[in-house]
Amino acid sequence: MFLEFVEGPLWYFSAVVFVVGVLWRLVDIWRQPSRTDLAVPRGSGVPGALRTIVTRSWTAKGFSRGATFHLVAGYMFHIGLFVLLIFAAPHVKFIEERILGFGWTPAPHWLFMVASDLAFAGILLLWLRRLMHPVMRKISTFDDHAAAILTFVVMLTGCLALLKSHDSLRAIHMLTVCLLMVYFPFSRLMHAFTFPVSRAYTGAAMGRKGVSA
Amino acid sequence: MTDHPSRPAIPSEPRQHGVPPRVRARITRYLLALLAFVLIAPLVPYAAAYLGAGNVPNPGAGLWNEVRQRAGPADANTQARGVESAVLINQVGERWRQFRSEMLVPVGAWLLLGTLGFLALFRILRGRIPLEGGRSGQLVPRFSVNQRVVHWFAAILFVFLAVTGLVLLYGRFVLIPILGPEGFSATAAACKEGHNLFGPIFPFAVLAMIVLFLRGNGFNQIDLKWFFRAGGLLKGHPASSGYYNGGQKSWFWMVVLFGIAISISGLILDFGVFGQGREVMALAHVVHGGVAVVFIAASLGHIYIGTVGMEGAFESMSHGYVDANWAREHHDLWLAEMEAAGMVGVEPNALEEVKRHDNIDFKGFGSPGTKAVQG
Repeated sequence: MFLEFVEGPLWYFSAVVFVVGVLWRLVDIWRQPSRTDLAVPRGSGVPGALRTIVTRSWTAKGFSRGATFHLVAGYMFHIGLFVLLIFAAPHVKFIEERILGFGWTPAPHWLFMVASDLAFAGILLLWLRRLMHPVMRKISTFDDHAAAILTFVVMLTGCLALLKSHDSLRAIHMLTVCLLMVYFPFSRLMHAFTFPVSRAYTGAAMGRKGVSA
Repeated sequence: MTDHPSRPAIPSEPRQHGVPPRVRARITRYLLALLAFVLIAPLVPYAAAYLGAGNVPNPGAGLWNEVRQRAGPADANTQARGVESAVLINQVGERWRQFRSEMLVPVGAWLLLGTLGFLALFRILRGRIPLEGGRSGQLVPRFSVNQRVVHWFAAILFVFLAVTGLVLLYGRFVLIPILGPEGFSATAAACKEGHNLFGPIFPFAVLAMIVLFLRGNGFNQIDLKWFFRAGGLLKGHPASSGYYNGGQKSWFWMVVLFGIAISISGLILDFGVFGQGREVMALAHVVHGGVAVVFIAASLGHIYIGTVGMEGAFESMSHGYVDANWAREHHDLWLAEMEAAGMVGVEPNALEEVKRHDNIDFKGFGSPGTKAVQG
């Protein structure tokens, strides 16, 4: 009964909030008034935008020593989470049956294990550093902690339900997924969609000024 | 008027049967003797075998001896391809089952409950170990950011693995009465998946602990004196120590040795696709379960003394600083070094802390170098 509710009405409500919320946030960013640049552009903004989207994927020279931890743990978490989200067998089946109508080859079990271990280790290390590092601790807000904890809980409940033997475990996982989807558009988790926008905006501005940044 | 049949008169004498009483008694005796024979006859071979009066071979004994491979590996063939696919009954499995049910579960329970009882008794008798001199207000940097991150990373994994492991070991005794069979089934399934999934991360946490905490954890003469004075945990027996005391060093080496043992055995159990047979798996489980129970029992002491058992201890791992009086009472030799280096009474300034943290010459160990002091 509870599983039917979570996978039925609650899932559709969360999906609508997620899609509408994300679109609303992106459109809102798009409609933000930009300052008119009166200077004669020294170059095109497009190459700068594309270059910055790529180059911001690693740390700039001079910052590598202090950012190694973030770089490694960040990639561990994000790559692991991506593989789990898109290629975990239960997710592929869910996407095929409930969303797209078609699926793809899921990841083998060993890859699932590696991806989940990378993701769990990454998110734990990043969150602990947020708590322990004096500067990180000071600049962190409730949203940062809530997003990290909620993401961790979603991953954890998903992995605990992996045996697929009990509806209760699946229902708990789906409930946390729905919570995350509702929370997503109004939190820092939006960076999953806004990071290329942000990089492209900065890169284009720098490109027009002829600055390699 | 209705005619009722007349009631028979009450017989004045016992009813006479056709069989005479003596014959009837004889038949009864024969029947009882036959019943006794039927019941006792099947027991005769067992009794004979028990008394050694005769050799009554079991026609199936040879077959089952072969199946159980009592005389060594059988020359068996099968079309099935796999590890030990030609083995029908593995005796190691029976020995493992006996170890688990008769040794690991009861002895482990006594060890864990005994440790909790000891800690409770210690708490009642000694109370919380206070800062005798009160708080000085002067802070001393103790653990770096990286050390604290790695410590809590390992701690979170350890607690998760310990809880899920204990549910798998003791859940049917403890949780079924609370959650019921269905609730326990779901809990056990979740714990099994979680344990297997988080397990492979633990070896990396142990490795990171070794890298960041190895320096300064070698035993020396001071630790011997520390042990003789029971670590100063008893009233009126202060014990000197450097950056780490004997107890902390012992715990560190337990983490290293137990961590390695539990990691290797856990990986053997978790990834059973590399050709390891039941014998290796059973041995790995014996090591894994035995070490885990001792590891968890020891960790209870570490957790107690690091949190509610001693005033001022938890701050070293939460914020990285300790009060100078705490350092004086528990790590006096280290405090002297820190005073000489001018590291006592520092402000917990975030930028300075980061600067110290980023200075690779200062790793938060016993003897900060000159460069670190300048930094």
